[in-house]
Amino acid sequence: MAKKVAVVGIGHSKFGKRPDVTIRELAHEAVFPALEDAGLSAQDIDAVVVGVAGDEFAAQGSCAAVINDYIGMQGKPLYRVEAACATGSAAVRTAWALINSGLAETVLVVGAETMTHVGTPRATELMAKAGDTRWEYPFGVTFPAFYALMATAHMHQYGTTREQLSMVSVKNHKYGAMNPYAHLRKEITLEEAMKSVMICYPLNLYDCCLISDGAAAAVLASEEKAKKLTDTPVWIIGLGAASDNMMIAERESLTSLKATRLAAEQAYKMARIKPEEIDVAVVHDCFTIAEIMAYEDLGFCKKGEGGKFIEEGQSYIGGKIPVNIDGGLKSKGHPLGATGVSMTVEITRQLRGEAGKRQVEGAEIGLSHNIGETGQYCFVHIYKR
Amino acid sequence: MKFGYASWLPETNMMRKFTEELANGRLMGTKCKKCKTKYMPPRIQCRCGSTDMEWYEAPKKGKLLAYTIIMYPPESMQKYAPYIVAVAELEDGTRLLSHIVGVTPKTLKVGMPIEVSISKVSEDRITYKFKPST
Repeated sequence: MAKKVAVVGIGHSKFGKRPDVTIRELAHEAVFPALEDAGLSAQDIDAVVVGVAGDEFAAQGSCAAVINDYIGMQGKPLYRVEAACATGSAAVRTAWALINSGLAETVLVVGAETMTHVGTPRATELMAKAGDTRWEYPFGVTFPAFYALMATAHMHQYGTTREQLSMVSVKNHKYGAMNPYAHLRKEITLEEAMKSVMICYPLNLYDCCLISDGAAAAVLASEEKAKKLTDTPVWIIGLGAASDNMMIAERESLTSLKATRLAAEQAYKMARIKPEEIDVAVVHDCFTIAEIMAYEDLGFCKKGEGGKFIEEGQSYIGGKIPVNIDGGLKSKGHPLGATGVSMTVEITRQLRGEAGKRQVEGAEIGLSHNIGETGQYCFVHIYKR
Repeated sequence: MKFGYASWLPETNMMRKFTEELANGRLMGTKCKKCKTKYMPPRIQCRCGSTDMEWYEAPKKGKLLAYTIIMYPPESMQKYAPYIVAVAELEDGTRLLSHIVGVTPKTLKVGMPIEVSISKVSEDRITYKFKPST
């Protein structure tokens, strides 16, 4: 039986274009509110786990060491975790494991990334290089293109439509507009989403997440510590993680992410719950098709019915399972290393009842789902208040 | 001869053999002699741990599984845009990713029969690509 681990403190920087700061200052913006929220100071922290996906974005090697110093954690055990776009969730999982193993009682998790400082063409190039540089990059496959391939396969196999893809974007923008930390706080209409510029068919601009700067932080603690620190601990009751083939052509399916299915199965089993018991979820919507596949692979609906799920409004507040009501990667932004930690922050907020206008009334069980690259990594965490 | 439209990894012995065969019109994969797993594109070590591999000539016919029309390429691919990237399944069940040519957005369909054609990208670069098959 695994020991209990809780989230006891959360902090979040404003996501967006942040030429005013570098990665160290961004991390600071998230860390100190998280420590304050937990009622702790630096000396109470046993270890620090930093998630940064790419040093090239920050133009700084060993970003974790720079951040650790800047936030005054010199002397603590320090870990740098990387899992592409799932870096933040890998960091949360690492912190959980440190506490569960007894190596630490209280761990600070920091996820941070600056992506806009290098400019969009360079950022696109850096992300494209995350594909297989021997057999995929030589054909100029961009990051959205990998998901576009899955989208045409999904549309062909299940009749999913471009309109349904756009509906995901409309929903996430609606909620992102209500989130003060979101990058693009703007509601959009279905028509605007449908008519935006084509990036790679069938994905247009509003099907793609943003390139953002941002940081998020969380303090995790053992059961004994958590009970002393707060009346509202949010327990991590299930975890799952999995991986998949590097080259997408080689995968058994182009319409489903195996890593999600495997990770979700482990997490549901550990938490002893079924998908329909989830009250609120944040899922990896780097592209709208990814959210539709996540509904299916996480068991929120049947395989092939993800398009119908959004069309019926089932992922809105009031629907079967509200999804990405913090704006998702689409509207809140996707600073790679920060994203997974930001997901933990949002679910914690929801389960504490602190999400304001975006609150899912009475939410008790939450789920976060974070994909690295195009399914080469997946982490699923389940939380309970 | 280098492979594809853009690359920077070293031209290993395996890649030299692969592109040399491509230049002679043959699409070559490798097969593990121990567990019989086929790799297309090729590898010199098997996932089973074996390094006892042999080359085989892959079929050039297959069907289209997925595609996308890329309007905004990475920096190094600007001069080729827009281009269409596709995944196809060859007749022996292996799958390959490449560009598809000789189609329009209207004629492009998942499931359509394709064949692999080999062509030079430039003086020192060679690639395989898909085209519609009859």
